[in-house]
Amino acid sequence: MAGINEYIILASILFGLGIIGFLTRRNALILFMSVELMLNSVNLMLVAFSASRADMGGQVMVLFIFAVAAAEVAVGLAILICLFKHIKSVDINKFDLLKW
Amino acid sequence: MDYYFLLFAIMAVGAGIFTITVKDALPSALGLLTVFIALAALYLHLNAPLIAIFQVSIYAGAILVLVVFVIMLLITPDEELESRQKNISYRTLGAILGAYLTVLLVIGVKGINQLIVQKGLPEGFGHPSLIGTLFFKKYIVHFEMASVLLLVALIAAIYLAKKKI
Repeated sequence: MAGINEYIILASILFGLGIIGFLTRRNALILFMSVELMLNSVNLMLVAFSASRADMGGQVMVLFIFAVAAAEVAVGLAILICLFKHIKSVDINKFDLLKW
Repeated sequence: MDYYFLLFAIMAVGAGIFTITVKDALPSALGLLTVFIALAALYLHLNAPLIAIFQVSIYAGAILVLVVFVIMLLITPDEELESRQKNISYRTLGAILGAYLTVLLVIGVKGINQLIVQKGLPEGFGHPSLIGTLFFKKYIVHFEMASVLLLVALIAAIYLAKKKI
């Protein structure tokens, strides 16, 4: 069985990929998917630590993160649909209504 | 070396790179689906069968279908969208910051690792009945709060998607 170290490195790489995707892409939908990637890497690390410490709390925490992620996606995509109705684009550089 | 872990780790990282580099949103969503499936396999390896099932049914089943549905609604065929940030300084700054944070995370969390005591797993670790017991005894308040949060998110999503706002 792979040790906790390998899981930490894998989760960190996935988190970094999520950050890079979030900072470099322009499509708002792909930004959403990058956030999902980061949430999933955190879940992986929680489950790995839960198995390493023989503590079930980590797995319960992951289930709560599932609930929060579902709420985030529902509200976020609804906001995106609203923005698309006003601006007719998913390019985040055009979402500058609140910019001074 | 653990070939099961290696196979699904390479699958997850490769699909993750595909997700953030491919031009269109729909192939990106399919890459994300592959990441979810690989992570579900890794959860099975980590004695978390319930999390693996929920990963497939909630993430790959519900959340990703919602994202694909919105992709179908939003992308107009005549829109020409550059895939990356057009300002080159944004792009390099984002990539450098992401790589730096990854290295920082690996180093920082490897330091924490020394505090962890490797214990043998008790009998029946990760069984769904144990998670159910934890949910309805120790974490009952959090469970109810999560249900209220989902209800509020549902109402907010319906309100935001109305015709005029």
